[in-house]
Amino acid sequence: MTYSYIKPREKTLITSELKLLFIFFFITIIMLFMTYIFLVYKNYSFKQDHIDIVASKKDLNISSAQMNSDIKFIEKQIATSKKIFTQNTVLKDSITNMFDLVPERITLSEAKLLENGLILYGITPNKDVYNFMLQAPLRSIFHRTYSSFYPAENGWLFFVSKNYIDDDEITTKNEEY
Amino acid sequence: MKIEISRQNLYLLVLSVLLLIFVLIFSFAVLIPNGKEYRKNRVQILKEEKELRVIKNYNKDTQETLKTLRSENKNIIAGFANTFDQKRFKKLHGGYFSKLVILKDDKEKVEDGFSVYSVKTISKINSPKTFYNFLDSINKTEWIISVNFPINFKREGKYISSSFTMKVYSNLVDTNTTK
Repeated sequence: MTYSYIKPREKTLITSELKLLFIFFFITIIMLFMTYIFLVYKNYSFKQDHIDIVASKKDLNISSAQMNSDIKFIEKQIATSKKIFTQNTVLKDSITNMFDLVPERITLSEAKLLENGLILYGITPNKDVYNFMLQAPLRSIFHRTYSSFYPAENGWLFFVSKNYIDDDEITTKNEEY
Repeated sequence: MKIEISRQNLYLLVLSVLLLIFVLIFSFAVLIPNGKEYRKNRVQILKEEKELRVIKNYNKDTQETLKTLRSENKNIIAGFANTFDQKRFKKLHGGYFSKLVILKDDKEKVEDGFSVYSVKTISKINSPKTFYNFLDSINKTEWIISVNFPINFKREGKYISSSFTMKVYSNLVDTNTTK
């Protein structure tokens, strides 16, 4: 015997409202966990990036320091070589000037170029030619000039001319240079 | 007044409260600290990336400077790196002299951070001009050489006998070499 016109519906513990709620719960929890996973992953990624950046910075700093050291060394090489090249050029000019200084009537037999002086050996027709044509310009260059003569067989005079620049002057010139 | 709540609604209420509690606990205990760390790390990483860019640019500039220096001064760098070779020197510069004898002093010195050894040179030249040409060529040679005092010239018949000292500069073996 039936007491109702409709068919009785089955009663369950999980109703449609509860199902909806579970779906909502599920989505919420999934979103929370995804956010958590994203944050954990990004934090891990940042830590890895930090390690990589620190390593890169260290490598780059070492590389830069090495290159700076190389640059300094090359600059030192350039400075030294320029100094040497200038010295060679000055030396060439000094030798040129020395040979230009000797007049045609005087013949040199030996010349010694010293760091602070010049010693010339040669032969001159007479003392006057030597004094006017060689000693005068030498005196204008050097601080101390000493000359000695001895007769040659042909009536000319052998001479030895020793000329020196005082050390103080050399030091001053070097400091200026 | 009596509030009547059905069993279903009670379940709904309890579950909702549980979810709320879970969300709050999870957020405050886990998400917010992680979020704060994320924000802190992000700011730090951006700062570090900026610093890295500056260091990279500096490194690049330094590399460029070094490259330019090396290319512009390769002869000088090679000059200091080359080991003095008497035979090669005679081959290159022997033409300036009628006779050329080179005596190497074994005692090496250190001068301005470079290894320096002296070479005594005895030679015969035709005229002083030859010697000037030699001095010009010495600045363009394969080594870094300075010609030093004392320099002696002595007439010997139609030749001029000359003797002088040369200093050959090279890199110290145990220091920074640029190749």
